[in-house]
Amino acid sequence: MLSAFHLTRKFGERVVVDDVTLNVGCGEIVALLGPNGAGKTTTMRMIAGLIRPTRGSTAIDGVEMTERNGSQLRGRIGFLTEAPGLWDSLTVRENLETYAGLYGLARPAAAIDALLSQLRLTEHASARSAELSKGMKQKVALARTLLHDPPVLLLDEPTAGLDPEITKHVRDILEERRAAGCALLVSTHNLDEAQRISDRVAVIQQRLLAFDRPDALRRKLAHGHVRIRVAGDATPYLDAARVFDAGASARGSELWLRLADAEATTPEVVRHLVDAGADVVEVQPEQAGLEEVYLHFVKSSEAAAP
Amino acid sequence: MTRRIRALLRKELIEISRHKSSLLPIAFVGVYCLVLAIGLTVLLPTFTGEKLSEDPDYLKLSASIVGYPGLSADGRIQAYFFQQFLLVFLFVPISVAMTTAAHAVVGEKEARTMEPLLATPLTTSELLIAKVIGALLPAVVVTVPELLLYLGAIAVFSEPGVLATMITWRSAAAVGVLAPGLSLIALQLTVLFSTRVQNEDTARQLAIVGVLPFGALILAQFTGHLWLSAAALAASGIGLIGAWLLLLALSVAAFDRDRVLTRWR
Repeated sequence: MLSAFHLTRKFGERVVVDDVTLNVGCGEIVALLGPNGAGKTTTMRMIAGLIRPTRGSTAIDGVEMTERNGSQLRGRIGFLTEAPGLWDSLTVRENLETYAGLYGLARPAAAIDALLSQLRLTEHASARSAELSKGMKQKVALARTLLHDPPVLLLDEPTAGLDPEITKHVRDILEERRAAGCALLVSTHNLDEAQRISDRVAVIQQRLLAFDRPDALRRKLAHGHVRIRVAGDATPYLDAARVFDAGASARGSELWLRLADAEATTPEVVRHLVDAGADVVEVQPEQAGLEEVYLHFVKSSEAAAP
Repeated sequence: MTRRIRALLRKELIEISRHKSSLLPIAFVGVYCLVLAIGLTVLLPTFTGEKLSEDPDYLKLSASIVGYPGLSADGRIQAYFFQQFLLVFLFVPISVAMTTAAHAVVGEKEARTMEPLLATPLTTSELLIAKVIGALLPAVVVTVPELLLYLGAIAVFSEPGVLATMITWRSAAAVGVLAPGLSLIALQLTVLFSTRVQNEDTARQLAIVGVLPFGALILAQFTGHLWLSAAALAASGIGLIGAWLLLLALSVAAFDRDRVLTRWR
């Protein structure tokens, strides 16, 4: 697992990352969300041991990263950088062979062949990197990141600019790695992706604004709106609904209520409506989407900024 | 040599092999030295009809060639010049290899390949050693055949016995100790500057300034103002190799991963 404690990074007087503490457990994907310039890449670079925190520390499997053990701990991390960073004049295989040597793989050819096959890159193995499309380059970069089978993966925008098919493929691979027990920290702008693959979401804008499971974050922003669909016209049951919310409204076969504590009150509302003769077909609490959660935290942070 | 140095070195050599034209200047200066040396000592006297030994300055300079009783005055002058050109011959390709070395760090940064490289277990000393050897090896690979060609041309075109004056401890010291020492210093300086500046040209220019004193020594040697014996050449070479190790340590200390990744744009 990976841990970051009170990570702070300044460039001159400018604070780019301020007191960020987070952890990613084994078999967990944490999505790192934030607007451009929020400090996501800087946070990842600090965790990867590439740049020094001004304050705070990082640890891999409980071992704090220092100058002395940096080389050893970097061997336990796979870092997919923002740019693919392939050597253009080398072929795909040569790029991977170089990294296999740098990571000291015992059986490089077998590891490379397996990854090329898994990422459907085998037929491109002899192509020079300069000849590859952006999506292919990103896949090769991902292969490079996974080559040494690291227990910790830091992925900076892994699906940025990829077509839907490759994006799906990359997500499948990330889920496979999670199933294999890896700790994955994934920086992304794609809220849909974050919602799909992540176990927890960290929203940062210099500071860590929120860090929790996606559904827990959505609940925090829940407005208490509940939509209840009944058989036939809902208007006759409006009075029964207004016992709980004076502002309740009826739209066709739907009743709309706003409840102070929706989770606790909704069963009672349903019982009351049934007693009033309504045939309740569907009850749907209206939760905020992840996008709404994200925008809420980011805008609140901007509003609070001096 | 560690496995990581070998891996990075292999990558450097593949890159150079894919850009063979980058070795052309090294090949060119070697051929240029060869033509100039043969032209000055063999062809020019033949075409003008003026013997080298008619010039009292040349006679004076060639007085350092001693111990070859069968050699004529012209032969001694030829031997003197061939030995002098040998030093230039060894030095010039290295100055061209500095182009490769200048690309070492700043080129990786410009190509955005540095960040994934630094994310591996590769240590700074391994990175810098691989970069220096990666620049040195191609220069050696091109220079050695040219050196053999140089010696072959001397055997063919010069007076009998001149070649024997080239196969000396002095030449061996120049080729085997001084040239590698000088090369390592020049290339390490270039790599050092490459880690601190933001483009290749600046790295190369600063390194050239750094090796100017060595160039001045060779110039003084070439013009006859300085004559280094075999022992002096060997001692200089060993000193240079020691200085390279110090410079390597300095380069490692000066290499700031943080700065490389965050301050360069």
